Amino acid sequence: MILASVTLSSVSKFWGSFVAVEKISLAMADGEFIVLLGPSGCGKSTTMRMIAGLDDPSAGEIRIDDRVVNDLPPGKRDLAMVFQNYGLYPHMTVADNIGYPLKVAGVNREERERQVRAAAERVELGGLLERKPGQLSGGQRQRVALGRAIVRTPKLFLMDEPLSNLDAKLRVYMRAELKHLQRDLGTTTIYVTHDQVEAMTLADRVAVMANGKLQQVGTPLDIYNTPANVFVAGFLGNPPMNLLPIAIADGRVQDSELTLAAPAGVNGAITVGQRPEDMRLSETDAGNMAGEVYTTELLGDSTLVTVKVGKNLVAVKTDKNTKVHMGENVGIRFDPKHLHFFDTTSGTRVAFDASR
Amino acid sequence: MNTRSHRSRQAALLALNVVLALIILVPFFWMVSVSLKPAAEPFSIPARLWPENPTFDNYITAFRPEFRTYFMNSVIVSLSTVIITVSLALLAAYAFTRTHVRLLIIAMTLVIVTQMFPASAIIIPIYKMMKGANLLNTYTSLILAYVTVTLPVAIWMLRGFMANLPLTLEEAAAIDGAGPFRTFFEIIVPLCRPGIVATAVFVLIVTWQEFLFALSFTSTKEMRTLPVGVNDFIGQYGIRYGELMASSVMISMPVVAVFFFLQRQFVAGLTAGAVKG
Repeated sequence: MILASVTLSSVSKFWGSFVAVEKISLAMADGEFIVLLGPSGCGKSTTMRMIAGLDDPSAGEIRIDDRVVNDLPPGKRDLAMVFQNYGLYPHMTVADNIGYPLKVAGVNREERERQVRAAAERVELGGLLERKPGQLSGGQRQRVALGRAIVRTPKLFLMDEPLSNLDAKLRVYMRAELKHLQRDLGTTTIYVTHDQVEAMTLADRVAVMANGKLQQVGTPLDIYNTPANVFVAGFLGNPPMNLLPIAIADGRVQDSELTLAAPAGVNGAITVGQRPEDMRLSETDAGNMAGEVYTTELLGDSTLVTVKVGKNLVAVKTDKNTKVHMGENVGIRFDPKHLHFFDTTSGTRVAFDASR
Repeated sequence: MNTRSHRSRQAALLALNVVLALIILVPFFWMVSVSLKPAAEPFSIPARLWPENPTFDNYITAFRPEFRTYFMNSVIVSLSTVIITVSLALLAAYAFTRTHVRLLIIAMTLVIVTQMFPASAIIIPIYKMMKGANLLNTYTSLILAYVTVTLPVAIWMLRGFMANLPLTLEEAAAIDGAGPFRTFFEIIVPLCRPGIVATAVFVLIVTWQEFLFALSFTSTKEMRTLPVGVNDFIGQYGIRYGELMASSVMISMPVVAVFFFLQRQFVAGLTAGAVKG
């Protein structure tokens, strides 16, 4: 199997004074499925377009395997890309669309037809080869785009929000299919999305981006369990992590609604975080903090209780049979094993001694 | 809006359409009518809308050997102009559409400036150039002049069309390994077909009916085009209206036919750049 590793070294992209991507360094291994995750405008698509060769990096170096590809045109990089709006050629049939990369490569007609048929089988498009893209549904068009990507067995797949134009149900289905296809082919894949569920379900490793900078790289579980900064903590999870600004001095939390034993070595302006599912409701005087119930939402498998504590809203995921009412006073108890501390000024995670 | 005012609005629009159609169609009808009248009838009093004794005599007279020469000249000059203009305009429009080079953007604006000069103002310098190049009384002189006149508009028409093609298609082609020329011929040009049709029809109409250049640059009967050729029926002592109109009908036919077969593509091509799809 032909696989590729991709290495970005301090890659940046500016448009005039606008910095789209700032000094990104990232190494992707052979056969890895890596997801670039971030809100729109964070530079994730630009990063992918630079790897594809559609945009030139303003600084830094991009390597595929050990070759610097900065000056190589996209067609010479041996990669395939699936675009958000599919990028199918409207005047060509499905077969011609899938076969186009082979035609450009000079593969003869018979061999082309054989490979197109094989690729079409793989993405379940067998009966639609003579149709034009305009006669296909969104899901089918997506399959054509996938077929065109896999037909020439490239070393690297690039996928730019490939599922975001599909309706919710189809998206879940295609997501599973995509994962299966990638594992099956074993091709190194870089996938761009703003959808954290896609990132969590598909990725071997997730690279979270914001404001043109890389925030954290790690396995889905890593970035969920140990977010490197306030941004990652607040971006992942639904609802995201509760984040409460506090001040710690002399090992004690100062003037706050919060009763909490400050961990050793943590001082100054701190943001304390905990995920809604790690918190518990309690009697008003038995928790780490107390407040008035703002809303309760039954989610089916659980109930989401939002509590107003001081100026902050704190979300707590509780048992679905929890009976609390809006306006009621409740206490909230932290799970001490799952507390996160961030420096409020820099936003970065603060290491601490949890043994205390 | 209530139904009554809506309906009166509809009626007003319909009336306006009918008036416009009449303004356009009456002269055309009159041309056909006169072409079918025997020599004595065009000025008979009372005037008749439709000839009393319709005849094709005028057509038989008008379809003389000279007419056939003029017709062939017109076809050669017009088709050559269409092919050259559309080919050059496609290349230029693509370059202008996808460039971010400031100099080219300025050049694109300058292209429009060439349209500010009326034909009568540029005909003398062009005539002198043609004379200097020894091209007077050749097809080349007419084709060159027509390409000059039609190319700027053609570039702008096609540019409007190309600017609306999604960039993703070219990027997909680049990923698939196609170079710029391949992308241009296999992706861009086929997708521009409605725009190409519209542009070609426009160029055809302009050159088919062009009179001033054709009159100035050709001096022998062998090189004349149709619009100049019909002048044969305008003599020093009289105008032979029957034959003149019969020739005019025959001249109009090819353009009418082209329009008839391509009108859907033509309209699609003209409106394509206007609205974001």
